[in-house]
Amino acid sequence: MTTRARYRGGNYRRRSVGSQVILYATVTAVALWLIAPFVWLFVTSVSYQRNLLARPFTLVPPEVTLDNYRKILGLVRFHAEGQAGKILASMWNSLVVALVVTGVNLVMGTTAGYAYARFHFPLKMLSLFALLFTRMLPTIVLIPAFFLVFRALGLQNTLTGLVIAYCSFTLPFTVWIMKAYFETIPADLDKSALVDGCNRFQAYWRVVLPVSGPGLVAGGAFTFMLCWNEFVVAQILNTKPGTTTLPPVIAGMNGQINIDYSVIAASGFLGALPAVLLVLVFQKYMVQGLTAGSVKG
Amino acid sequence: MAWLFVGPALLGIGLVVVFPLVYSLWLSFTDVNLLRSTGPAVELWGMRIPLFRWIGARNYTQVLTDPLYWDSLWRTLYFVGAFVIEATLVGFGVALVLNERFPGRPLMRSLLLVPWSLSRIVVGLLWIGILDFEFGALNGLLLRAGLVDGAIAFFKEGWTALNVLVSVYMWNQAPFATLLFLAGMQSISEDLYAAAEVDGAGYWRRLWYVTVPALRPIVFLVLVLATVNGFLMLDLIYVLTMGGPAYDTTTVSWHGFKTSFTFFKFGPGTAILYTLTALCLLLTVVYHKLVLARFEAEG
Repeated sequence: MTTRARYRGGNYRRRSVGSQVILYATVTAVALWLIAPFVWLFVTSVSYQRNLLARPFTLVPPEVTLDNYRKILGLVRFHAEGQAGKILASMWNSLVVALVVTGVNLVMGTTAGYAYARFHFPLKMLSLFALLFTRMLPTIVLIPAFFLVFRALGLQNTLTGLVIAYCSFTLPFTVWIMKAYFETIPADLDKSALVDGCNRFQAYWRVVLPVSGPGLVAGGAFTFMLCWNEFVVAQILNTKPGTTTLPPVIAGMNGQINIDYSVIAASGFLGALPAVLLVLVFQKYMVQGLTAGSVKG
Repeated sequence: MAWLFVGPALLGIGLVVVFPLVYSLWLSFTDVNLLRSTGPAVELWGMRIPLFRWIGARNYTQVLTDPLYWDSLWRTLYFVGAFVIEATLVGFGVALVLNERFPGRPLMRSLLLVPWSLSRIVVGLLWIGILDFEFGALNGLLLRAGLVDGAIAFFKEGWTALNVLVSVYMWNQAPFATLLFLAGMQSISEDLYAAAEVDGAGYWRRLWYVTVPALRPIVFLVLVLATVNGFLMLDLIYVLTMGGPAYDTTTVSWHGFKTSFTFFKFGPGTAILYTLTALCLLLTVVYHKLVLARFEAEG
């Protein structure tokens, strides 16, 4: 075992000083590249705009303030409070939409994923191909249709409309991820349940699902992240103030010249936090689920 | 029995994907006027879906004879090419680094997920904080180090702006390529490396003769996924350049987006977007072939 372990990805015990230096230099560079921009977003969000504009430039802000966060949370009055005041309400909208879509996906997508992993049925290959295509489809091409249909149904500027539209790009993903996950669970598990007198549905519901936690977490967290971060669809379909989600509100603030960048940075950081934390907490399952979903098809 | 399981999802996908897809295709052959409420329509469960007037391929000829379409297509091809190359090379390079053993490697793998889990609106926003002419951190650092005489305007000149877009999108997407590469690297048998080392192969030879051949399927996968993502990118353009200066960062998807939702010309707009959809269908076929090839290889 020791010899096997030594070879994985090179052998660091025998690394020369020179290659040690190169390795650590590259690791540092990669770490900076990955995280420094996000850290800088945080730094700007606790700075005053005047210090960001000051030259010569300093990486460590001379003053630290929570004013930007107070402004977007509505605790202090300022000239653009109308715009900034939408942040919390839109975050709530984002949360509702993301949670409902995730729920729908987990129920419908998981069940279909199970069938694709276990059953042979007519049109299976064709519907799989169609699923793959819908996964690669530009969502934006569907939006004119949603726009007109929602107008006819009165679903424009409603969260229900967004939930429906978001299922169009999340559901195919979820089916695909769950199919890949169920393929890693031995089919003997279902077979023994069937032998013990369960019907197919009971085998799925009582035996397979309870051991599918990691897959459900992967699919659920990924769906939530996609919805929480989505911009274009919400921007087009929900234009009435108060009906849209967070990304369009942030983009709208960014388009205004009278709002300080530091305030927008604060809303960006606050808005990014839920998805980043979710991904970091569930990273193990998400990485497994996603790589299995795309590598193995 | 199987249909009971797949039924709900397929029905759902049919309603929210296939139906809008077909309806959009129909729209691309009609003279859509959003203000007109009379005219042919389908009555379904009490709702009235307008059909508008069929005008044949006129939207397509109008779009395809517009030099703006072709300009944005060539620009898109450059964008996609540059993005695919950057994302694949950087994604692979980072995977090589993270596949080494060093203290803090698990932390690094967590950091990898940060750029990828951000909304593209936030991605654009934080790069504005770095690249802005007035308050950008990069300009501040360069000026302070005396490397430039005046601040660089990254979004003022079209060519620079386009390449900045490529790199910012790459920052967001390359980590996912890294994840796929890492997963592939970990499935390579260590015996291969051991054997190569016994044969006297150094780091680079092991990389070229063991790692790269074993990762070939994943390389293709990354290429196809990056190509699709490159063609579809829209939100970063919205925050960073709005397609400008002039039309210098207008890609096909942005052109379609603007035609449809800024000018509300759904006919030509859906026609533009459908040319993109056709391309994606082509790429799906390629992807499907790759996936199938892997299925067969695994038996």
